[in-house]
Amino acid sequence: MNKNKTAVPSPNTNLSRRRFLARSTVAAVGVGALGSTLLSPAAWAASAIGDHASATLLRMARDVFPHDKLEDKYYAQVMSPLAEQAAKDTDLQTLLKDGVATLDEQAKKRFGKVYLEVATEADRVTVLKALEDTAFFQKIKGDLMMGIYNNQELWPRFGYGGSAWEKGGYINRGFDENDWIEGV
Amino acid sequence: MTTKFDLNDDSLVVIIGSGAGGGTLANELAQKGIKSVVLEAGRRFKLDDIENDEWKMFGKISWLDKRYVEGPARLAKDFPNLPAWIVKGVGGATVHWAGVAMRFQEHEFKMKTTNGVVPGANVLDWPVTLKELEPYYVKAEMKMGVCGTEATGMPFHGQSSHYKVVAEGAKRIGAKCEQATLAINTQVRDGRPSCQVNGFCMQGCKIGAKWSTMYTEIPKAEATGNVEVRPQSMVLRIEHDKTGKVTGVLYADQDGNQQLQKARIVAVAGNSIESPRMLLNSASSMFPDGLANGSGQVGQNYMTHTTGGVYAEFEKPVHMYKSTVVPGIVHEWKDNDPNRGHLAGYELEILHLGLPFMSAFMKPGKGGWGRELADSLANYDNMAGFWICGEDMAVESNNITLHPTEKDQYGLPVPVVYKTDHINDTRMRNHAYDRSKELFDSIGAIKVNNLPPYPASHNMGTNRMSEHARDGVVNKWGQSHEISNLFVSDGSQFTSSGTENPTLTIVALAIRQADYIADQMKQQLI
Repeated sequence: MNKNKTAVPSPNTNLSRRRFLARSTVAAVGVGALGSTLLSPAAWAASAIGDHASATLLRMARDVFPHDKLEDKYYAQVMSPLAEQAAKDTDLQTLLKDGVATLDEQAKKRFGKVYLEVATEADRVTVLKALEDTAFFQKIKGDLMMGIYNNQELWPRFGYGGSAWEKGGYINRGFDENDWIEGV
Repeated sequence: MTTKFDLNDDSLVVIIGSGAGGGTLANELAQKGIKSVVLEAGRRFKLDDIENDEWKMFGKISWLDKRYVEGPARLAKDFPNLPAWIVKGVGGATVHWAGVAMRFQEHEFKMKTTNGVVPGANVLDWPVTLKELEPYYVKAEMKMGVCGTEATGMPFHGQSSHYKVVAEGAKRIGAKCEQATLAINTQVRDGRPSCQVNGFCMQGCKIGAKWSTMYTEIPKAEATGNVEVRPQSMVLRIEHDKTGKVTGVLYADQDGNQQLQKARIVAVAGNSIESPRMLLNSASSMFPDGLANGSGQVGQNYMTHTTGGVYAEFEKPVHMYKSTVVPGIVHEWKDNDPNRGHLAGYELEILHLGLPFMSAFMKPGKGGWGRELADSLANYDNMAGFWICGEDMAVESNNITLHPTEKDQYGLPVPVVYKTDHINDTRMRNHAYDRSKELFDSIGAIKVNNLPPYPASHNMGTNRMSEHARDGVVNKWGQSHEISNLFVSDGSQFTSSGTENPTLTIVALAIRQADYIADQMKQQLI
């Protein structure tokens, strides 16, 4: 897949950290309105694609499958491996960087500002909708679908039981329990 | 004790596929002392390989070889390379099925007599009647252990919460709803345990309470010493001699080496995409359009059932996953009543998906994202729903063809599946969506979501039975009209789809076919 592995500079830890701190400041100024937990520092630092792209992807992730009650870390858990992989995979890196650039381009065209600064979800969704058919959007969407809804850690939050055979199934654990429908 | 047969042994029946048709046929023949080799494209799984995990099992057992879906239906856009959701492994689709075992209704064997010529469709009567098949239905129900039937006397599973919610809705709108007759043990039976309601019937039953040839027919057949199962054996072509009789099967073994297994009889049971594909791939100078294809009907009349999903959201929990996958059936509209605005009937099969699959199938395709979908998924635990399963009209242009240039990993032309709705299918689906909404509204649904069809697990019709050779591929015994020692033993021999899930009928036909093959062999006719 990746024919240009050697061309990718290895991430510089110090630089990453500095960038990351810088991004935090930018984030505080630029997207403060989006909620204080959005860019929680420990969750998400992606040197391969840069701070702006990282912040944009996280915002995008929350817009694609918005669950206001879910903490940022669950979205970041999906985005982080992507960004890490992008450090080694130039095709993916290009896909993500170009994707974010297109997102910003579309946002500027419609609202005169980059995606991160578009204030309402409805407006950001119109930007995303314009990108829906792209490989970039579908990659993010696919990874999120698996990362959010196929995440065992989150299943209890959605009321889904997951694997049951090792607990003896539900035959003695409430398969027939229902306290609101009338008996038939 | 593993039986091994010689490649040059030309006294054998070679059965291609080990699912409901092939697995059953192998065991039925074996019990009569008839020897067979079963060539199975997939690997052999153990119960240890079965997990209660939707995506893991999808990746592990599904038939994911390259295929194309064509046609204007939404399926072609949403799942361009996955027309069918079936299994590549010993046991075939019986690993993955939900266990729903219902007999066809009388009119479903006589669609042409019942409705006359249906414009735009290629409808035909079966050369078999319900009456002829009834004794075999009883045998199939016994073999598979179908609960809620006279044949087994096994009780139903009991009413799960999911069932209760739907049954109350059905009662309020005056629709019949009953627990499903499932080939899932509700008592210890036939060396298999009783269901403990894991809720993952479709991912393979972890405890083996659900009938699957993987751990019933296949090991029973092997225990007789009359059967050798060769997993990871992909059939390349069926060979024939100058007289037009089939003589053997060329396949790629697990190491990719080509082997030719000689045969006295060949039975094709690779499901409704692979079975016609094999016949088409076996074209020769004598049979330029493929084996058994004098009528041109091989690969045609591909039927999947008219399907769709309906999931309603409520204010309170249903926890539908704490249930057998299909706890019940609303069968008010299974009859053929043209006054509804469509011919033939449908069932609303109460059916749950886990959260992972719900996220993928609630709004499949590129547009499946955004707040409305996320809000519904946040309400997963308060959902109840159906899978619509209705009769699909046979349409000649719905078919399986071979890709003109592209080859798969075995060097075989990739199958192209063309499928679109007949107008009757569309009308039926809309009727089902409307009745479903009424049903759910009657018990206070806050939102009712319609899901489009997803990749088909019920695939039928591509080598259909017909009374006359000109109209189909096989006769009433599943025997090729043209080649007397070539049989079709899976759902591809169905003349109509019926509204019922196909497995029970496939098994009944395979038991009946085994009797016929044994008799014909004895008489030296084949």
